[in-house]
Amino acid sequence: MSDAIRHKLTPLEKSERRLGFAMLAPAFLLLAAVVLYPIAELIRNSFHFNHLAQPWMGTPFVGFENYVKALGDDRFHEAVWHTVLYILVTVPGAVVVGLGLALLANKPFAIKWPVRLGLLLPWALPLVFAGLIFRWFFEYNQGVANAILRGLGFEPLNWLTTPSLAFFAICLAIIWKSSSFVALVLLAGLQTIPKSFYEAAEVDGATKWQQFREITLPMLRPAIFVALIFRTITAIQTFDIPYAMTNGGPGNSTETLAMYIHKTTVDFLDLGYGSALAVLMFIVSALITSIYLRHTRRDPGRH
Amino acid sequence: MAGIEIARVVKAYGATPVIHGIDIDVRDGEFVVLVGPSGCGKSTLLRMIAGLESITGGTIRIGDRVVNDLPPRDRDIAMVFQDYALYPHRTVAENIGFGLKMRGVDRAIIDKKVQEASEILQIGHLLERKPGQLSGGQRQRVAMGRAIVRDPKVFLFDEPLSNLDAQLRAEMRVEIKKLHQRFGTTIIYVTHDQVEAMTLADRIAILKGGHLEQFATPEVVYKEPRSTFVAGFIGSPTMNMVKARVAPDASVIMLEGGASMAAPPAFRRAAGRDVLLGLRAEHIALSDAPAALAAQAVIVEPLGSDTLALMRIGAVEMTGRFAPDSGLVAGKGVKLMLNLDHAHLFEPDTGLAIV
Ligand SMILES: Nc1ncnc2c1ncn2[C@@H]1O[C@H](COP(=O)(O)OP(=O)(O)OP(=O)(O)O)[C@@H](O)[C@H]1O
Ligand SMILES: [Mg+2]
Repeated sequence: MSDAIRHKLTPLEKSERRLGFAMLAPAFLLLAAVVLYPIAELIRNSFHFNHLAQPWMGTPFVGFENYVKALGDDRFHEAVWHTVLYILVTVPGAVVVGLGLALLANKPFAIKWPVRLGLLLPWALPLVFAGLIFRWFFEYNQGVANAILRGLGFEPLNWLTTPSLAFFAICLAIIWKSSSFVALVLLAGLQTIPKSFYEAAEVDGATKWQQFREITLPMLRPAIFVALIFRTITAIQTFDIPYAMTNGGPGNSTETLAMYIHKTTVDFLDLGYGSALAVLMFIVSALITSIYLRHTRRDPGRH
Repeated sequence: MAGIEIARVVKAYGATPVIHGIDIDVRDGEFVVLVGPSGCGKSTLLRMIAGLESITGGTIRIGDRVVNDLPPRDRDIAMVFQDYALYPHRTVAENIGFGLKMRGVDRAIIDKKVQEASEILQIGHLLERKPGQLSGGQRQRVAMGRAIVRDPKVFLFDEPLSNLDAQLRAEMRVEIKKLHQRFGTTIIYVTHDQVEAMTLADRIAILKGGHLEQFATPEVVYKEPRSTFVAGFIGSPTMNMVKARVAPDASVIMLEGGASMAAPPAFRRAAGRDVLLGLRAEHIALSDAPAALAAQAVIVEPLGSDTLALMRIGAVEMTGRFAPDSGLVAGKGVKLMLNLDHAHLFEPDTGLAIV
């Protein structure tokens, strides 16, 4: 774009450009009001002491004090560690499950609705709702998980009150919920692969597995990358599902960074410190997004 | 190498039949072209031979094996697709060697064969490129290379040249013919271009609406079309087709609108019948003879080597091919001789040749 030949705009082009800006203005103003202003306010807050439970202290400027505090805050470290664990488990998990779903949905089935329902239902469901469903699913007395265990003759488990089991249950819920999005992205990718690629491979003697490895996977790489990045960015902000299932418990064992920020500001009323933590989270998200942007910009040149 | 026997082959999608019992016998090493208008079922038939479509009825044999239930990979065929089906993420060399690699052939042997094939096709300097960096004609060559290295019993082509411009198409036509002469492998080739069919084929199978209209050498198809459909499909310009009536004693033939001419003895077979008279443009000539018909040039198309002119003779119009210096002018009256020794007679209702 930048090296496109610059030329003098004709009056028509000028008026078109003005119209364009005018039409963008409402969206831009809205964006400024709900995104840019809060971010600026967040950053400002993070450099101030601002504790709603201690109004008499005022809101003095404290420099990097809030950030320094985060360095020594064990609960913050744990929350970060949990978030990283969720990312490491649920992002690849969702991609694998999503790929399976996409491959299934791409098959010419006689009856299509079960696959479509399986694909769209988790996606259409609100996050908290999904969390509540899985909380019931893993509930001790009436949950499906324990009913199955009992049916198989095993002892029921304390799914949501044992740290490792609770982590496992939450990961399962997140993967179930987020794999539809991945599947939709990958399905779009699958449908761009010409049928003749598979037919030529079939004639050439490739087995189904070879076709998957030699054609599907490499052709799907850009789509998988998009899915990975989008999934990672949302996984950094994991909140609703663990909030609905365990509220971070038992103890803080399933608490994510977003949940800790929420608690710090809404429950503990420490706006200054909470803002600093939120800024840190924002920086990480922005970093990953920029990796993604750089990659996509480079992408066309590779083909 | 092997022949192919297509016997009473039927294809239906659900309740819709698209191939209605076709018989074609392809001899070992023969170059057969399937030709016909869009939707006539050429691709479907080819894909049934390849194993990419199931066979609803009848049998297909390759060599002496019935292949009806054999998967494509076990039929020992190679196919060149209309869109070439080259993998964009693989180099030219990897694309050509793909089939061998899938079959677990030794790396060194693959390299050697890819090298050989690329030299035959003159793409040796492109081996490290990706398909996206090639021209249409080069891609076409890579697709053929991919088929050649497999050294199959049969080559199948589905409109391989339809994505190329006219000049490149002529060039690749020659290339394909050379390949056939060099390897002698049986080829079945689908096209809707009658020029391709005429120039390439040992025998042409002309399909129409899922039926086989005629299966014969280019010469026979051109000189003895079995129906008005074949007559109209093969040859350019299209064969003239006019309504006429043969006198009961077969001495004269009357064109619609009254013009009449002496009929050759061969027309006795249609004595006293209404017919469609088929005559190619080259069998119409300017003449001063007393028996010549009065006509008027309607449209004159100089092509350089010769000139096509649409002539009105009474109530009918016919296109003739004339020498470029015959001085034809649109609107001018001329006198024409129709060389009825080369004329074809067809049944007006069925369109079948009267023999
Ligand atoms: N999957 C399918 N389901 C139903 N009908 C089909 C299917 N594939 C092809 N047909 C029909 O079968 C007929 C023959 O199709 P085919 O592709 O063989 O035509 P073709 O001769 O190759 O035409 P073209 O020159 O346009 O490629 C067409 O009428 C087409 O509509
Ligand atoms: Mg076709």
